[in-house]
Amino acid sequence: MIYLDNAATAVRKPEQVAKAMVKALQEWGNSSRGVHATSLQAASGIYAARVKIARFFGCRRPDLVAFTSNVTEALNIAINGLIRPGDRVVTTAWEHNSVLRPLYRLQDEQGIRLEIVPADRQGRLDYTVLEELLCSKASAVVCTHASNLTGNVIDLRRIGELAHTNGALLIADCAQTAGTRRVNMDELGIDVLCFTGHKGLMGPQGIGGLCAREGLEWRPFKVGGTGVQSYSRTQPEQMPTVLEAGTLNGPGIAGLSAALDYIESVGLDNIAARERELTWRFYAGVKDVPGIIIYGDFAGEHGPIVTLNVANYDSASAADILAEEFGIAVRAGAHCAPLMHRALGTQEIGAVRFSFSWFTLDEDVDSAIRAVRELAENG
Amino acid sequence: MAEPELNYYVLFDNFTQGLALQELLQNENIPARISPTPHILQGELSCGMSLLVLPQDIDSVRACIAEHGAAYHSITALPCQIRRHRDRFC
Repeated sequence: MIYLDNAATAVRKPEQVAKAMVKALQEWGNSSRGVHATSLQAASGIYAARVKIARFFGCRRPDLVAFTSNVTEALNIAINGLIRPGDRVVTTAWEHNSVLRPLYRLQDEQGIRLEIVPADRQGRLDYTVLEELLCSKASAVVCTHASNLTGNVIDLRRIGELAHTNGALLIADCAQTAGTRRVNMDELGIDVLCFTGHKGLMGPQGIGGLCAREGLEWRPFKVGGTGVQSYSRTQPEQMPTVLEAGTLNGPGIAGLSAALDYIESVGLDNIAARERELTWRFYAGVKDVPGIIIYGDFAGEHGPIVTLNVANYDSASAADILAEEFGIAVRAGAHCAPLMHRALGTQEIGAVRFSFSWFTLDEDVDSAIRAVRELAENG
Repeated sequence: MAEPELNYYVLFDNFTQGLALQELLQNENIPARISPTPHILQGELSCGMSLLVLPQDIDSVRACIAEHGAAYHSITALPCQIRRHRDRFC
């Protein structure tokens, strides 16, 4: 099977990820519960992972890194923990349901005012509209760093500047950019950066997190055991404990930590360059094929995703044929991005997404090009 | 009877604060051992970790905290109850 669904999850991981997870499973106690050697081994390993993540994302201190089970949980924590009833919140048509659904729920249940920046038929955002919305007393902007459908990268630096000029928080969904390009929260003006471990970072599923600016007033999404301040009726206020009730996913954190070591050893810029090369190789190979429609804007910043439709095929049928007849795994359907599909006019047929990773081979891309051409010719 | 030796405990709001300070102290070669916080000192911090510091190092620890702006809850002293030569398997 040629695996080209890395925007969903990176199946191929660095070898040390599994090794680190097995070691943690066999040797780590419960972090922050007691100070015997096995508990401290977990606590030290988890602290080391916080240090690496803080450095990786330009977060000012390791205690400002909180672990979650994935980016969806991180976004729920940020959205529910920082947005208050009656707030005015700006988001975009690029968003995944992990952003939209928590915001819709706050809109329905807590009366937040939600403004959505539209996208055009090429999926481009109108930054003038975004600026106008931010200028009118928005308290937060919640947006993705890159569309999980088209791969287009948003101008977060510009949004960060606009947000802060207007006194709004910037909560960024970096599901598709963490590990595929340099993301520095300080440089981009991100107040809360949400990430997952299992996509570009090449770690295991079940681990993600957020990096926060200091001084935010959190209303924790979940409360409970922390191993500290046990007689307090309320959740400890200090980061990261305020956001980390319950036992952490030690093996997941160990795997993510090992994945970060691997990325550091290879070099993030090298990974980004390689993934860009694969993306453009595929794009160049299919863009002029008759019957192929490619979505998104390839003139701007782009992640390792190419999304298209083939001739008269429904996207699910195209993906099924690619899997069954060509042995190529891609993602069809709506990609949990309903507003972007509406903007692109693909809500009826969906689209077929090809996404690449550091471990994708040139031959994999060439096989996918041949398969798409053959499909288009027979469509 | 000789005065019992004092142990100095640096107390924290959570483990992350404690591990961060331990790293800073290690970088400056100041010995500090992670210890359960004695129950008598815990109060609102119950169940947490502390750093056990020798009396002769406590000023260096305070200086390190001040220099790096390290987060901690408080520093307190307690007569030492650890008998180093206790038969560990009695």
